[in-house]
Parts: sequence; structure tokens; C-alpha cells
Amino acid sequence: MAVSSIPEPKKRNWAPYLIIGAILMIVIGRIIFLGTVSDRFNAAFFTRAITESFKLGSLYALIALGYTMVYGIIRLINFAHGEVFMVGAFATFFLFSAAPYPWPVAVLVAIPIAFGVMRILDFWRGKMTDPIVLAGGGVVFFIAVWLLSATTVNFVLALIFSMLITGVLGIFIDRIAYSPLRGAPRNSMLITAIAVSFFLQNFGLLTLTRRQTPFRPDTVLNNSLVFNMFDGTVRTSWLIVVIPLISLVLVIALTLFVTRTRLGKAMRATAQDAEVAQMMGVNVGRVIATTFLLGSMLAAAGGAMWGLNFGSLNQPAILGILPGIKAFAAAVIGGIGSLPGAVIGGLIIGFAENFLTAIFPRTPEFAGITEFKDTFAFILLIVILLVRPSGIIGEDLSEKV
Amino acid sequence: MLDTQKRHRNTILNFAAIGVLIVFLLIIDGIGSVKLEQAFALFAIWGIAAVSLNLINGTTGILSLGHHGFMLIGGYITALLILSSESRARIANSARSQMNEFTLGLSIKNWFEALGLNALATDDTLWLRFIVAIVIGGIISMIFGLIVGIPSLRLRGDYLAIVTFGFGEIIRLLASTRLFAPFTNGSLGFSGVPSEFGKSLWWTFGFLAITVFVMAKLKYSSYGRALQGIREDEIAAEAMGVNLAYHKVLAFAISAFFAGIAGGLWVSWLATARLDVFLFTLTFFFLVAVSVGGTGSVTGVLIGTALVVFVRQYGDPLEESYTLWQWLLAGGVLLLAAAVATLIYRNIRRLRPRLNASIYIVVGLGIIALLIGLFAASGGQLQSEYRAFGMRAIILSALLVIIMIFKPDGILGQAEFNWAWLFRERKDQPTDEERAQDAWLTGPELSKRLEAAETREASAETAGESSEAN
Repeated sequence: MAVSSIPEPKKRNWAPYLIIGAILMIVIGRIIFLGTVSDRFNAAFFTRAITESFKLGSLYALIALGYTMVYGIIRLINFAHGEVFMVGAFATFFLFSAAPYPWPVAVLVAIPIAFGVMRILDFWRGKMTDPIVLAGGGVVFFIAVWLLSATTVNFVLALIFSMLITGVLGIFIDRIAYSPLRGAPRNSMLITAIAVSFFLQNFGLLTLTRRQTPFRPDTVLNNSLVFNMFDGTVRTSWLIVVIPLISLVLVIALTLFVTRTRLGKAMRATAQDAEVAQMMGVNVGRVIATTFLLGSMLAAAGGAMWGLNFGSLNQPAILGILPGIKAFAAAVIGGIGSLPGAVIGGLIIGFAENFLTAIFPRTPEFAGITEFKDTFAFILLIVILLVRPSGIIGEDLSEKV
Repeated sequence: MLDTQKRHRNTILNFAAIGVLIVFLLIIDGIGSVKLEQAFALFAIWGIAAVSLNLINGTTGILSLGHHGFMLIGGYITALLILSSESRARIANSARSQMNEFTLGLSIKNWFEALGLNALATDDTLWLRFIVAIVIGGIISMIFGLIVGIPSLRLRGDYLAIVTFGFGEIIRLLASTRLFAPFTNGSLGFSGVPSEFGKSLWWTFGFLAITVFVMAKLKYSSYGRALQGIREDEIAAEAMGVNLAYHKVLAFAISAFFAGIAGGLWVSWLATARLDVFLFTLTFFFLVAVSVGGTGSVTGVLIGTALVVFVRQYGDPLEESYTLWQWLLAGGVLLLAAAVATLIYRNIRRLRPRLNASIYIVVGLGIIALLIGLFAASGGQLQSEYRAFGMRAIILSALLVIIMIFKPDGILGQAEFNWAWLFRERKDQPTDEERAQDAWLTGPELSKRLEAAETREASAETAGESSEAN
């Protein structure tokens, strides 16, 4: 007979409400105060700040998803994810601006594209040697060779190709560097990831470029957008709509994939307990490859839009470091291993970086905090790790004996 | 315990090795090759940093990635305190200078003069001021080490690694901001740091000797044992009465102190202090040294440092410009060599399958690259020159991946270099008694050994010698 226990009255935790309330009060207070300081800080100024923060935050969210997925599956902080993002950005740049290629280059570029398509078809067929998968890969290969060697590539197509190439790179990195270390101590895995990150940085210097690269594609996406907001005119570009929209589409697609498909279910099972999942017939190797493919594809999308947003790409050795580590901070803040957590964390970092500098702007009395903005992500990361290591919505991480 | 004879032998050999090292340094000093001297001085400086990183990464088993931050603090403070008056005047007159009266006056020379010690403020006693400055730099760096060590009480493993990385980056990012620019002179930094210390073999190797001595003594002290206990199993160590908080923070503080010293010497070696020499790359180099040489082994880390410094100082031919067909040939040879090495490895370790399908791809690519290269060489095509920037870092990172996969503990592992290795003495050799016990346990046909051992023991006792071995 079961012993019934008296349910304890659940104690309400007020801390989050207090924190959110305090932040809101500070923000509103600052906005009202700034309104009295100068005409410059009108509604349009803050609208612009909010939309910019949202844009930046959705980029961080895209990158953070890759970190959180890989951590969820193999408990590895993929230090090289920032460099995967860098490769995605440069792949988009070269596909967009350097096509048409001579045919040998087009063939070389089309191989990973076709392989990526085969990998995606494989989600559905479950076997790489399936005739449909092979046929799909072959067709895509010839189409890609023709497109790359005959015509220029528009931005969206460059984005998709870059996502495929970078996704294959992610799988490749996992196979070469991480897979021999399954079950090794976590520190060895992290050191390997750091080494891979350095390898990619310097390989990028070697093969891609050594300079800051301007990247201003003339697409519909970054046409300028001007609208009125109460008492002022907001001058910005369509990117404030396009980037969050593309990110939203990708995040919804990922969520549907993870919740609705068999492979997604296998991924969730592996994240819970890899050993048991394997015993239950989940092909863990395939799940890991899928994770790296999807994470790297999202990072590539983030990288392409990063270039679009900032109008230039920094040199390969430093492009990936700061966005990568900030996105990692986002993943930890949201709760590593959780997909919605990564999105929330990304938005928090975006707002901390952009909106915070907007509500503490440069005024005659105060010099502003713009030059400190790169440290916010680190400070948030350290604070959240000390106060609540599991993140905002994360599982408990304390070590079990 | 070693027996007395062996201990005497080891002491003699140790002193002999130190003597040989000094003679060796004298010879290098005498050759007068600037590049060679600089390489050795750099080895000593990076050796200090790597050995101190090893205290956290190797001995305590906490992955710390913020060493460049500690070095930055030590380096900038040393540079600020010993900067010559001419350099100060130059900075003060420069329009882009971000320093103010107060920070320009921060100089040990001024302090000595204010104290009335004018004899110590002359040019002849720069060495004394350098020592004072570098120790102050080390101590302030140590204070930062204490601060960074505090999160280690709550966090473990990879999270802690990220937090230390974050601290290192915060230090570097803050150093360029308005808040600290008066101390660091912003992105301009200091030029004209006295370089006679960092480039001198005697100064750098002297500091290295102190560091190695301290680390070696620490490793085998009760503190070192406690730290190793934390590495092996934190929870078990705590259960055995090790004060985790105290020992972890202590490890961070000591490590940061020596990192600060290394930073001071590094700034002196470069003769400038700029923010872009204290990048994460620096920590990465030490990480390679620690991981390749042996995590937890001081001698191993020195071997690793030698490797890193060699690649950095003598890897120039890798980054010169070569024609495209030469690169293709080199790539083809490399791919084929990798395939052969994999085959040999799988054969030795008896791994199945010996021939993986991906080997064919590697071999195929290698052969294609070789063929194209050879045809182009004979036909005079693909002559465009190409420079491989970053090849040294690529090689080091590839090396690190390979080491992590095949020998995660590094070349020496946790063992130190031991003279017994030279004499092929095995540490785990059973004693005669154990052999006798084995013989008695395994069967009567080996009992002869027992008798032999007994007689030997008896004779040894009569001879008045102790037959203890290991």
C-alpha cells in the first residue's frame, strides 16, 4: 500500500519577478531621464535601439543553438563553433561575390553541397546508399556545378549553399577530431575543441583572406527602411525585419524537427541518456552527425547574416572568437542543453550589448559605456554561472556521486 | 625509498646536469647568435608561464584558459614601473597619449628618490628596480589570481574553463578602455621597455630555475599531494579532509604569481608592452606545451615548451612563399604519409578494420595532388607563388589534436624525468621477498627461488647491508 504524503504548499519564488521588475524600472527611469537631457533621445532613438538589439540577439540565438545542441548530446563545449560560424560567413561571401567559378573549383565546391543534401535526404530515408538519396545528391551536384560555373549566385542561394557546406564541415570536424575522444575526460575534449578552433582560424587565414573584407551585397534584404515613430523618423534597413524573420523560420523548423520527427525524438533520447538510448536501438552516431550538421547550418546562417548586417567581415582569425564566445554565454544564460533557453539567452545578450549602451549613451556629462560592451557577455556569463549555473531554464548540473 | 647509493648518484647527476646547463648557456652566450639567444631566452620565459599553467591544468586538473590575462597584468605593471624617463617624456609629449601625471609618475626610480635612496636610482642599479617591479607585478597578478580562483569553488570542469577564459578576456578588454587607459596607455602601449633582462639568458634562466624549483618542491609537498588528489577525484579528496577551497585558490594564486613574472620578462623580451601581444594565442601556446609535454609533469612541460618555441622561432621556412605545385607536392606527400602512419598504427594496435574506407579517399587525394604537382612541375604550370601565413599555428593545433587523440596525457604523462630511466631501472620490480611469495603461491617447482632468496638475505645480513629495494 502506498504511503500518501501530505503535499507541501508550493513556495512561490519571487526572485525572478523582482529582478525583472528592477530591470524594467531602471530602463523606464533611464528613458524618462534621457528624454529630459536632449531631444536626440526620442521615441525613434529607442525604437531603433530595440530593433537593433532584437536583430543582434536573434543572430546570437542562431549561433547559441549550435552550442546548446552539441552540449546536450555529447557534453562538449564546442569551442570551434565560433570558427564554424566564421567559415559560414566567408562561404556565403565567396559564393556570392566570386561566382561564376572555373569548372574545377565549381566541382570542388559542389561536392560538399551535394553531400549535405544527401545528409538531409538521409533524415528521411535513413540510409546513405538509398537510391533516392544518391539520386538526389547527384542531381544537386550537377545543378550546383552548373549554377556555380555559369551564373552568379544570389544571396539566398548563397546562404543555402553556405549552410550545406558548413554543415558538412561540422560533421567532418566531429569525425576527425571529436569522435576518437568519445568517453574521454571532458578536459581533453575541450582542449581538442580549442585546438580545432585554432586550426580553423589559421586555416582561414591561409586559404580565405588575411584582411577585413567588405561585404555589401545589393539585395532587396538590406534596402533602407524609413518610418515614423511618434515624434521622430527611424532610419534603418529591412534587415531589422529580415534577420529576425529568417532566424524565426530556422528556429521553428529546428523545433519541429526535434519534436515531430523520429530522428528528433532520437536526439532527445540521446540527450537524456546516450547509453540507454543506444540500447533502445537509437543510432547514436547518426544522431551526433545530425546534431553537428544542424548546429553548423544554423551557425552558417548566422554568419551570412552577420556579414549582411555589419557590412564587412573581420579577418578569419578574429571574426569567430567574440561572436562565438558571446553565443556560448547566451547558451549558458538560457540554460545549456535547452533550445528555447538558447534563444532567450541570445536575445538577452543582444539586448545587454545594444540596448544597454543605448540607454547609457554618450552625453556631455557621461562618456557612455560603448567601449565596455564586449565585456557584458562575459560578466553576465560569470554572474549566471555563480548564481544559477543551470541557467534560466536548464537542468540541474550538480555532479552526482 | 631509494637506497643511499642511488640517492648519492642522483644528487651528483643533478649537479652535473646543472653544471652542463650552465656551460651550455655560456657556449650559447659566447656564440653571439642573436636569434639563438633570443630563442633560448624565449624558451625560459614561456617555460615559466607554461610550468605555472601546469600547476593549475596539470597538477590540480582545472582547465584554466586565462593565463594571458595574468601575464598582461604582470607585464604592464613591470613595464610601467621600470620605463625610462626618456620614454615617459616621449609619452607625455605625444598627442595620443592617454596617460596622466599620476600614472606617468608611477616609477620605482621616483619612489627611491622620494625615499632618499638616490644611490639606488642610478642607471647602474636598473637590475634592482627590475626585480622590485617584476615582484610587484607578480604580486598584483597573484591578487587577480585569487579573484579568478573564487569561481572555482562553485564550478567544475569545462564551465570553470570558460569562466577563466572570460576573466582573461575581460582583463584584456578592460585594459584598453578609458578606465584603465591611464595605466596601459590604451592601444598604444609602451615602447622602450628595458630589454636587457628579457633577452639575457642568465636573467631568464635564473627565474626559470626558481620557478622550476618551487614547482618541483610544491609537487611533492603535502600541498602538491592535496592538489593531485583534487585532480584525481574532487569528492574523494574532500572526503579525505582536503580543504578544496583553500587548495584551489592557492593553486590559482601561485600560478598567477609566476605568470605575472613571466609577463614581466616577456614584455622585456619584446621591449614593448602592447595589448595585441597578450592574446588568447599565448595561452594556447602554453596549453600546447602542457598537453604535449605531459599534464602534471614539470620536465614534460619544459619539453613541450621547447617544441613550441622551436616551431615559433625556427618555423619561418614554413611561412615563406612557394609555388603552387610545390604546395601540391607537399600536400600529397603529407596525405600519403598520414595514410601510411594510420595503417602502421592500426596494424601495431591490431585494430579492426585495418583498412578503413576513408583511407582510400585520403590515398586517392594524395596521389591526385602528387600527380598534378608533378605534371605542373614538368610542364611549367601552376607557378604562382603562395605564402602560407599561419602555418606554424596550424601545425601546433594539429599536433595538439593528434596528441589528445593518441596520448591524452602527453609525452611524459604525469611522470617526471628520472635518472633511473637512463639506467633502465624499473620502479615496479618486485622485491626478492615478493618473488619468493609468488613462488610459494604458484607452485613447488619455483620454491628454489625461495631458498635462493633466503640464503641471499642471510648473506646480506651477515655482510651488514640493508637489502631494501624500492
